[in-house]
Amino acid sequence: MRSGALATLRAILRVTAYRRLALGLGGVYLILFLVALQDITAGGRGWAFLTTDLSRMWERTGAFTFEPVAQLTLPGFTILFSPLNIALGSFLAALAGLNLVVTWIAFRQPRACRFNRSTGILASVPALLAGGACCAPAVVLILGLQLSSLMVSVFQILIPLSLILLVLALKLILDRTDPALLEV
Amino acid sequence: MEPLTRKGLVDRPGALGVLLFLLVGGGLTAQQVASVSETPSSASLPFAETPNYLADEIDAYESFMMSGGPPPDGIPAIDAPRFIDASEADLDPSEIVIGFHHQGEARAYPQLIMVHHEIVNDQVGGLNVAITYCPLTATAQGFKRGDTTLGVSGQLLNSNVVMFDRETESFFSQITATGIRGEHRGRTLDEVNVYWTTWERWLAAFPETQVLSERTGHLRNYSRDPYGSYAPLGGYYQEDRTIFPLMHSSNRHHAKTMVVGGRTESGSAYFVLDELRDEEVQTTESFRGVYDPVLDTGYLYRADHDLGEISPMGDGIYEVDGQAYAAGELPLEKVIPVEAFFFAWHAFYPDSERP
Repeated sequence: MRSGALATLRAILRVTAYRRLALGLGGVYLILFLVALQDITAGGRGWAFLTTDLSRMWERTGAFTFEPVAQLTLPGFTILFSPLNIALGSFLAALAGLNLVVTWIAFRQPRACRFNRSTGILASVPALLAGGACCAPAVVLILGLQLSSLMVSVFQILIPLSLILLVLALKLILDRTDPALLEV
Repeated sequence: MEPLTRKGLVDRPGALGVLLFLLVGGGLTAQQVASVSETPSSASLPFAETPNYLADEIDAYESFMMSGGPPPDGIPAIDAPRFIDASEADLDPSEIVIGFHHQGEARAYPQLIMVHHEIVNDQVGGLNVAITYCPLTATAQGFKRGDTTLGVSGQLLNSNVVMFDRETESFFSQITATGIRGEHRGRTLDEVNVYWTTWERWLAAFPETQVLSERTGHLRNYSRDPYGSYAPLGGYYQEDRTIFPLMHSSNRHHAKTMVVGGRTESGSAYFVLDELRDEEVQTTESFRGVYDPVLDTGYLYRADHDLGEISPMGDGIYEVDGQAYAAGELPLEKVIPVEAFFFAWHAFYPDSERP
């Protein structure tokens, strides 16, 4: 990212309200990501906390998804803790949070930002479609799609695709944002 | 060549591909399968004496096979299963279980656990078996596994799970029970009869059954089926649609109609379970289907014996030549029945006989 874009980003994050907004939106995105990956699911019997061998965190369950090493079962829902899924999700969430904040700034202060306002939002979507159920992407099950082998390949790269798009979108939107015009 | 470990298989798909490429002889046809199957090179994975009939050539299966998304073992088989007594099991009476019994031991594998793992490498009554389940095709099948174990390859063929053996890393199609890539290409696994039934029925038939524990060694939400539900029927299991490409498709029945299919070395047949339930006995040119109300399932027999009429006497008992037999004990040569969604059976056996 160019120093101009980084300077703009620093300027945005110096504003407490924007910082809190990015954190909040990023947190929501992380939860959505973990729901999409089915690490957070509805359904659970009683209360339980289970763990397994930490080394299993490196075992892949999909192209960019990994085994959980802890499980919290609560009445009504279950949370699987996969360190690598959470790490990857947190990174994506940080980027998505920043993108959404600058998108919000673009809506609020069109003079400060000259860019297509939906770019950051669109870039955050692919990773949310990457979750799968054993052999089939979750979105395919929900929408009733039919898959070709090409589509399966596309589903496998949705997470890195989202990562690249989020970085590009953030850079482009920051390049077109004038930090001098930022107001709370 | 240094053998690939299980971890190596996960981490080095490229190496696996090279290995499989080197192992694959190539060019085997369905007609050539017989000679290959009779001379297995591995003593540890048992094979059927006669290979199953295949409607397509193995080359076609291999080229149609596609990734479902997960890497090999990305859907982890249960390799060290634990069991609990029936009295400890917290199962609804209508919950689907996959049942297997051998030498006085009975096991129930809850569908809600199997949907997350697809394979359990178990030993029942002294027999090493792999109990396998594919959620997309609703097929529960058992295979003798010798000293090796089976894993989930992450590949699909006609929406159906493709398994691999951890000794040679050969790939096997579940429904055909046939090797489609690797050293065991063309060989038919030695099948055992497993049952797709409800917990209530299985428990009534086998009160001493043991039940697969949720302590599988893996962490999953076992109260949830990501595809849908069987009680009540919903989601993918109810919808008249499929997800992955099929080699053969038909609109003759709803895609998710449950059929009881069977194959011999020379042909195949299927019986619609609802129709078999109503008629109790159905016959095709080469097969006979008999309904078993105890487990709500069907047994298949070869029809090439000169045997008199099979007359239902009620409660799953049938009269043959003046003698009474249970549905699964008729004095005929048994064919392993495979319950499956119609679309999946047709995708593999489009030329199946039917009543």
